[in-house]
Amino acid sequence: MQWSTLFKKEMLENWHNKKWIWVPLVIILIAILDPISNYYLPQIIESVGGVPDGTVIELPEFTPAEVVMMSLGQFSSLGVLIIVLMSMGTIAGERKSGVSELILVKPVSFKNYITAKWAALLVIVWGSLFIGMLASWYYTNLLYGELSLTALLQIVFFYGLWFMLVISLSIFYNTLFKTPGLVAFLTIITIMLMSVITQVFAHVLEWSPNNLSSHIFEMLMTDSIPSDLIGSAIVTIAISIILVAASILTFKNKELAE
Amino acid sequence: MTTLLTVKNLSKTYDSKAAVKNISFEFQSGKCIALIGPNGAGKTTILRTLAGLLKPSSGTVKFTDMKENDDLRKHIGYLPQYPVFYSWMTGMEFLVYSGQLAFLSKTEAGKRAEDLLVKVGISEAKHQRIGKYSGGMKQRLGIAQAIIHKPKLLMLDEPVSSLDPIGRREVLTLMEELKKEMTILFSTHILSDADEISDELLLLRKGEIVEAGSMSELRQKYQTSKIELEFQDDLENYQLKVNKLTNVMDSYIDRNVLHVTATDIIQARQEILTAAANENWPLTNFTLNRASLEDMFMKVVNN
Amino acid sequence: MQEFFDAINWAVIAPVLVIQGILIIIAMIDWAKADNTNGPKWMWFFIIIFVNIFGPILYFIFGRSQR
Repeated sequence: MQWSTLFKKEMLENWHNKKWIWVPLVIILIAILDPISNYYLPQIIESVGGVPDGTVIELPEFTPAEVVMMSLGQFSSLGVLIIVLMSMGTIAGERKSGVSELILVKPVSFKNYITAKWAALLVIVWGSLFIGMLASWYYTNLLYGELSLTALLQIVFFYGLWFMLVISLSIFYNTLFKTPGLVAFLTIITIMLMSVITQVFAHVLEWSPNNLSSHIFEMLMTDSIPSDLIGSAIVTIAISIILVAASILTFKNKELAE
Repeated sequence: MTTLLTVKNLSKTYDSKAAVKNISFEFQSGKCIALIGPNGAGKTTILRTLAGLLKPSSGTVKFTDMKENDDLRKHIGYLPQYPVFYSWMTGMEFLVYSGQLAFLSKTEAGKRAEDLLVKVGISEAKHQRIGKYSGGMKQRLGIAQAIIHKPKLLMLDEPVSSLDPIGRREVLTLMEELKKEMTILFSTHILSDADEISDELLLLRKGEIVEAGSMSELRQKYQTSKIELEFQDDLENYQLKVNKLTNVMDSYIDRNVLHVTATDIIQARQEILTAAANENWPLTNFTLNRASLEDMFMKVVNN
Repeated sequence: MQEFFDAINWAVIAPVLVIQGILIIIAMIDWAKADNTNGPKWMWFFIIIFVNIFGPILYFIFGRSQR
């Protein structure tokens, strides 16, 4: 099986370049940043000083759902940034260095080559997301109140789709350009553009992938899966598949050497 | 002998600049063919196009016994001029990986990799990270990965030009050996390398094949031997006499030496010596000069 | 300030410190083994050690040489 050969190589490489260690750890840090800092905010403000004695600092009490949403909020910025930077060279870097010249003269199917890379990224990102959310869940339960495991798994599943879209976008630009920095830049610009479009046309784009987070919050508040969340999920999956298919197509029509 | 590969009217254009212009040629199986020409003649472009890394602007590349829709890459092995590997892999791992990508099973690939590591002479470094390999070792690993799947055609882009004299000798010896098992096409800008191991030459200049043939054919064709004559005096007078001889094509005087080119060098020698003896020419020097292969190369390339 | 440290529940903070420690150690091991880095190697030493949390991450993303 050529696909599994390619996939195993990706997994092994991610072990050698330590991605399997640092990506989950960084995602954990991002996930627990807000739950911890918000909990200690009163003490931090007090210790920094400048507050007259006797002032009572009143901060809103956060519900567990709100705290988990803070973690997702950080994922949407810092998390996406990490994923984009970590995936920017997966194909572009190989073409830039020239290794692809040895690999792609072997009878390697482009479909296998691209989907194996896509899948390997997905495994590491989903794994990290799961561990990160587990850490966030731990702190939420410890400091704010209970959140059910089912709710957590649902969050991981639906938010994982958003990360899948980010990876698919990155793969797509990876097949178009061979400068990793450019790939990262365009991926981030595209995500920002999608977010702007979603806000401007909010009334018609209820199922935009960018709305996944807000639909997840709705899910936590109502304790049921809203139909808009399903809609957004389906749209996200569809766009990801289209991006991967487009990547394979661009690669087929591409000159693989200068 | 059968034809292995046919290239027809192949052209490759980059941004409206032609790198390869409408070339056609055929390879016989079992031959070792050298693509030779100065830098920028289109050697790498041709190899990359045959390897499927570049798409021809026009023309076709076809293996004789290849089925319709078959992947051309199954039948070729390719070593780029500057091979880059996954430096975190060991030599062994990289070969097994390459083999598996070419549809060998893991055990087959492992066995073949062991054999090849011995053959190319780096088996003592097989469990070392490629990042630690020297240039010569990488080149040899590169050859091993190119032939792991027993391709019909092995293509090497400047396989020895970046190596020191010892590495160069080792790789040439290795190629000499591989020649017995497969068809080899390699590029070089050094004539003596081509001369040493190739059966046939394709001379390239500015993207065109200017000359093709076996070494001896080309030698014969471009061997414009000269006779150099020196006289005690009256050089111009004797030049007129020499020019009248039937086998003499042309002559010119350079630094008091009369250079004579002939249609048939042996006949011309006979004529000149006979005339000199009969008419008592004050001949002080008679030299028969055969043009070297380098002269021929320069002549074809500079044209 | 003392009050601030007393108020901290170390069971909450410890995991953060541990993660940061692991990141620094792994980055340092990788850095020590690397033949070369993007940019001067010594510079990455200081970035890994002194840039809080982000140092090791910056090293993994930008410092590691692919070759």
